[in-house]
Amino acid sequence: MNQVEQKFTWKRALLYACLLLVAVVQIFPLIWLVDFSLGSSNEMFTNGLLIIPEKIRWDNYVTAFVDGHFLHYLKNSILVNVTAVVFVIAISILAAFAVTRMKWKLQGFVKTLLLMGMMIPIHATLLPNYVIYDKLGLTDSFWALLIPYVAFSLPQGLFLTCSFMDSIPKELEEAAIMDGCSIYRIIGTVITPLMKSSMATVAIMTFLNNWNEFMMASTYLSSNKWKTLPFSILEFTGQYSSNYAVQFAVMALTAMPAVVVYVLLNKYITKGVAMGAVKG
Amino acid sequence: MKKKIISLLLAAAMVCTMAACGNSSGQENASSNAKAEESGSSDAADAVEPADAPALGSQEGAAASAEPVAIKVFSNLTDRKSGQGFVEQTLFDQYMAENPNVTIEVEALDDEAYKTKFKAYASGSSMPDLVNVWGQPSFLDEVIAEGLLAELNQDDYAEYGFLSGSLDGFSKEGKLYGLPRNTDVMAFYYNKAIFEEHGWKVPQTYAQLNQLAKDITAEGMIPCSMDGADKWPISIYYQDIVTKILGDSQQDVRNSVSTGDFSNAAYKQAAELMQESVEAGLFQNGFETSDYGTAQNLFTNGQAAMFYMGSWEMSMANNEEISPEVRDNIGIFMMPVVEGGTAQVTDIAAWNGGGYAVTQNSAVRDEAVKLLNYMFLPENWSKIAWENGVCMSAQNYADFLTGEETSVQLAFTDIISSAASITGVTFNDLGDSEFKTNSEDLSAELAIGMVSPEEFIAQLEAAAK
Repeated sequence: MNQVEQKFTWKRALLYACLLLVAVVQIFPLIWLVDFSLGSSNEMFTNGLLIIPEKIRWDNYVTAFVDGHFLHYLKNSILVNVTAVVFVIAISILAAFAVTRMKWKLQGFVKTLLLMGMMIPIHATLLPNYVIYDKLGLTDSFWALLIPYVAFSLPQGLFLTCSFMDSIPKELEEAAIMDGCSIYRIIGTVITPLMKSSMATVAIMTFLNNWNEFMMASTYLSSNKWKTLPFSILEFTGQYSSNYAVQFAVMALTAMPAVVVYVLLNKYITKGVAMGAVKG
Repeated sequence: MKKKIISLLLAAAMVCTMAACGNSSGQENASSNAKAEESGSSDAADAVEPADAPALGSQEGAAASAEPVAIKVFSNLTDRKSGQGFVEQTLFDQYMAENPNVTIEVEALDDEAYKTKFKAYASGSSMPDLVNVWGQPSFLDEVIAEGLLAELNQDDYAEYGFLSGSLDGFSKEGKLYGLPRNTDVMAFYYNKAIFEEHGWKVPQTYAQLNQLAKDITAEGMIPCSMDGADKWPISIYYQDIVTKILGDSQQDVRNSVSTGDFSNAAYKQAAELMQESVEAGLFQNGFETSDYGTAQNLFTNGQAAMFYMGSWEMSMANNEEISPEVRDNIGIFMMPVVEGGTAQVTDIAAWNGGGYAVTQNSAVRDEAVKLLNYMFLPENWSKIAWENGVCMSAQNYADFLTGEETSVQLAFTDIISSAASITGVTFNDLGDSEFKTNSEDLSAELAIGMVSPEEFIAQLEAAAK
């Protein structure tokens, strides 16, 4: 008995050590980010792993907040990202239902077509999209960001949602139909509540992917009106060398909402990925 | 199997449509440019109204008489609170205060994103009015060929005091398309205190520089920090050696790049000398991966005795963030001459890089030209940039010496005024954009010994042809 317990704790110790190591590797960049954001630009280039700032420079954050128009960009970022997440989830569920549950002629074809969006590199679309937006008068608008964000997140979202939906027993729907449910009611009251963890996964993926997106935003936007958080860093980028400390402060502030979203939805995401992966 | 075939077909269809899109947009682009050129100014005047509409409301009270104008500026100076971005923003603010009917909207992206967006703008219909351009064939030739830039009236600038030759990079076939922002000179910054402490002397010949590198390495210090990750500083270093062999060689180098003939022995000699210096340990370990900030900080932290960089870094001498031991001891010297060459130390690597141009299709073209002309009145850009120690303008700024300049500022002024010849745009920027990439990659490969001097010359010739 004693021996077993001993073995047990060793195993546990090893397990904890491994977990701790992973945790440190995961969390260290954040610690590093916050640490350097409190120093001065000059202290940045040390050989050490972390720095002990001579003077804690909270003013970096003040500068980031005021000169970086942080609140304005944050508002835009949240608005665009939340809308994109809502669209992606709604379209994913409806489309997944259509291509996995409903039987129609082009079912497989449409599914492949939608999933093929994953293969298109963003850079190849920048110029053609710009020209299209230009003709439609959509450049520098909310839609100029929302449309590509939804479009590029959709294939991934659909993929996860489809495989997750496959694991929901058909009998539930059959029962619902017996009771006289319409298709939309089946999706709304039977399927969707069962898809919580898949929705959380899709939400997190969409949100994190688009939160730091800069290439498309910088091409399709020109005025300050709809610019998102990554633009904030630019305000401290000099022509040759930059104000690194303030940039770090901006990045720490930018990372915060993403971390909060991750922590809030985290308990669902592992479940979602695992369940979606082992479809029947 | 069926699925496979379908997806293959789909992929093929997609590629086709993409290619078709690319083509048609290219054609449209060319035709819309041509149209704009034909229709000329009357068209531009018509288009003024819609562009101005949004500004109407805010301006009504301030200037009821003058028609409100909104000028869109596309800039590569993203930091508006310091450096050249600060000077630019100061001038815009001044201009808006003096002309209440004008609003200036700035969009700023840094170089890489700037160039991507510039292409996007060029293929769309909403090009900004005043844009940043580089007075180098690798950037400007394609832009001028597309007819994107408006011609400027050279007579306007007779009194502006632009240094002779500074407008050349912005001209094509006798027509002027832009104005340069500054004069850039490449030099060695060195730490006088460290030099004095160890009894090191500023090298007079290239051999002495290599010897100095060995001496400094022997003391366990880094002789010269180099920004190798960006590659262009290495290219300019190479050009600098060539200049220190040949002397006034601006035309020769231009001919070499345009004909692809690098047979002049000086090119090979310079390549050999550069490799010798690297072997002597002139640059820090792993310089090929050190970026700009890292290289600069080796110098400002006192770890490196020298730093090879352009005159725009003169503001190090009044940068409060750099410790006074370094800040107050910065000196400069030029690339030393190579023995046996015909050059003097006053043949320098200097050019006029960044600048501004007005776009051809701008709805408020005349207003944009007015703004540009205002910015470069001698008492504006030149004076403010000099007083803030930001850079040397491409104009004669002798009238604005305040007597409070740092020794670095004065030293650069001396170097410019006593220069026997200048290189103009360096060789890597003389070809098209592809040549720029290739030649800069080659320079870096030469520096780290991946290619021999012979291979370097051969590949350079291939790249130029």
